Amino acid sequence: MSETSKTMIELREVTKRYGDLVANDHITLKIRAGELMTLLGPSGCGKTTALRCITGHNIPDEGQVWIDGHNVTEVPTHKRELGMVFQNFALFPHMTVFDNVGFPLMIRRVDKAERQERVMEALRLIRMAEYADHYPRQLSGGQQQRVGLARALVYRPKVLLLDEPLSNLDAKLREEMRFEIRDLIDRLGITAVYVTHDQAEALALSDRVAVMHRGHIEQVGTPDEIYDCPQSRFVADFIGLSDFIAGTVSEVFAEQGTALLRANGLEITVPATPEMSPGQRALLFIRPNNVVLLPSTHEEGTNVFDGLVDKMTYLGDRNDYRVAVGESLELRVQTDGKVRFGVGERVKVRLPTSLCRLILE
Amino acid sequence: MRRFASFHIDMSRFASLHIDMGLIRKYLRAILNARRLLITTFLLCFALMIYLPFTMIALRSIGRGWFGRLWLPPELTLDWYKWAVEVTNIVDISKNTLVIAVLAVTMSTLIGIPTGWAFGRRRIPGKEVLMSMILLPRMIPPIAYALGVAQIFYRLHLVDTHFGVALAHVAICAPYAILVLSATFEGLDERILEAGSVCGASPVRNFFHVVLPLILPGILSSMIFTFTTSYNEFTLTLMTYGKDTVTLPVRTYLAIGEGYWEVTSAMSIILVVPSILVLFMIQRQVAPEKLVGGFKGV
Repeated sequence: MSETSKTMIELREVTKRYGDLVANDHITLKIRAGELMTLLGPSGCGKTTALRCITGHNIPDEGQVWIDGHNVTEVPTHKRELGMVFQNFALFPHMTVFDNVGFPLMIRRVDKAERQERVMEALRLIRMAEYADHYPRQLSGGQQQRVGLARALVYRPKVLLLDEPLSNLDAKLREEMRFEIRDLIDRLGITAVYVTHDQAEALALSDRVAVMHRGHIEQVGTPDEIYDCPQSRFVADFIGLSDFIAGTVSEVFAEQGTALLRANGLEITVPATPEMSPGQRALLFIRPNNVVLLPSTHEEGTNVFDGLVDKMTYLGDRNDYRVAVGESLELRVQTDGKVRFGVGERVKVRLPTSLCRLILE
Repeated sequence: MRRFASFHIDMSRFASLHIDMGLIRKYLRAILNARRLLITTFLLCFALMIYLPFTMIALRSIGRGWFGRLWLPPELTLDWYKWAVEVTNIVDISKNTLVIAVLAVTMSTLIGIPTGWAFGRRRIPGKEVLMSMILLPRMIPPIAYALGVAQIFYRLHLVDTHFGVALAHVAICAPYAILVLSATFEGLDERILEAGSVCGASPVRNFFHVVLPLILPGILSSMIFTFTTSYNEFTLTLMTYGKDTVTLPVRTYLAIGEGYWEVTSAMSIILVVPSILVLFMIQRQVAPEKLVGGFKGV
C-alpha cells in the first residue's frame, strides 16, 4: 500500500453527539483504496458511531464524510453503494440464502439470469452453494455470517463495512473466519472498514488500525506500529500486556542516544528521544515478555535490578510472574515455559534498554 | 332442504358391538400406569367438560323427540336447521355479525398498528402502566361497564348501528390488537432494516420487501384474534344492539328465552362453525409459532 494510493473514505472533523454524550469528537481519518482499516477500541469508544456515519445510519452533527471523492454526508444509506456485515448477521429471516444474497441485485433490478449467476458465484466464493434453498434459521452462526459476507459482496460495492462480524461466533470459528475474511478482501481488492474490540483480531487482520478511546482516535498505524510504538498510555494498555513505570527524566546522554529515568528508587536507562529534557515526567512501558528474569547470582549491569517473585502462574507455553522490584513496583513478567522461578525466590530483573518505550507527559 | 329433511338410523347396529378382550386388557394396563392414569383422567375430565355439553347440543340440533336419556336421538332430522334459518332470519343476522366483526377488526387494526408500533419500538415513560390501562377493558367483565357504554351510545345515537356495536367491541378487541402488534413490532430487528438500506433499498422498497413480510404474520394473527373476539362477543352487543343489529350470539340467547331448545341448539352449531373454520385456518395455513411475536429472536 503506497502512500500515494487514493483515499476511498475520509472522515473530516466528524462529530456526533447523543444528548450530552459526545460519541465522536472531531474525528478525522483517511482510509486508502484497497486497505483494511480497523477501528479498534473498548465498547463505548465511538467506533460503531463512526462506522454508522460512514454507512449513513448516523448523520454527523458536524464535519463531513467523503466516499470515493464525493461528499456523502447527507446522502441516504441506500444511495451510498456499500456492503455491510453485521454482528448479529441481520439476514432477512423470511428469505432463503439465495434470496438474501440476491437482494442487493434484486433492488438494483439486475435481470434474473444474471442474478442467478452472480448469486451462485458469491455463494461458491464462501462455500455455501449447496445451502441456497435454506433459510437463515437453519444455518449455524458461522454459516449465517458467511451468507452475510456474500450478501455484502455480491454487487461488488466500493466499500465493505464489518461491524464486529465475528464476536457472535465461538473462539475457534472466529479464528478460521478471520483468515477467510482477510483472504476474501485480498482476492477482491476491496476497501474494508472493520470494527472490533478484539485487539488480536485487529492485529491479525488489518493493514492499519485506528485505536479509539472516548470518541477520539488515539493512534492510527500498522499493527506493528500500534503494538511496538504506542503513543499513549491508553494504546499501550489496551493493546497487549504492558508494564508501566512512571518516573522523571534525570539526565539525557544525547551522544549515546540514551537517557536516565528515575522511578521508584530505580535508575533506568532508556532510549532518548529528541524532545526529551531533564526534569520531564515520563511513563516507561515495556511488554512483560520483553522483561528478562535472571537468577539472583547474575552479575550487576545496566537496568538489572533485584526482585522478589510474588506470584507465578503456569500458562502452558509460558509462565506469568509478578515480581516486586524497587520500592513499590510490581512488574508483570512473562517467560517461556522452560525458565522457572518459585514464589518467594530472589531474582534479578533486566529491562533491556532498546525494548523500553517512553511516553512523555 | 327437502332431501335432508328426515332420515333414520338403525339402532340395532349398535347393540351387537364386537368386544375384543385383548384390547381391553391392553387399555387397562395402560390406564393403571400411574402417570398415564393422571394424564388420562385429566384429559377425560377436560373432554367431558368441554365436549359433553357441546355433544348434547349437537345431538339435540339433529334429533327429534330426544331428551338426553338415550345414547342417540331416536330420529335424526335437519328440520331444526331449516327452522333456524327460516324463523330467525339467520342470513341477515349473520350479515350483521360479519359487518360488525369486520368493522371492529378494521378499527382495532387501525388503532393497533400505530399504538403497537409506539409500544414495541419507542421508549415511552410509564409504558407498563399505560399497557395495563389499555388491557383493563379486556381484564374486567364487560358487564361492569356495558351500562355506561349503553348510556353514552344512547346519547350519541350509536345504539342499533353497526358502527356503534362495532365501536363497543373495539373496547375489548383493540387491547388484543395492541398487545399482539406491539410484540410483533418489538421483534422487528432494527439491524435487519439497516441491512436492507445498506443493500440499496430505499425506505419504500425496504418497507415492501423487508418490513411488510416480517410484520404480516403478526398483523394477520391480530386480525384473526380480534375477529373471533368480536364474533364471540355477547355482553357488549346485548347492551348496544337493536332490531337492525342483532348478532348471532344475541339471537341464540334470545332463542333460548323463546323456549325452542332444538332450534337454539341448531343456532349454536351454526354459530360455532365459523370459529372452527378460523381455527382450522390458523392450524393449516399459518404456522402458529409465527403468529405470536413475529420473527422475534431470529
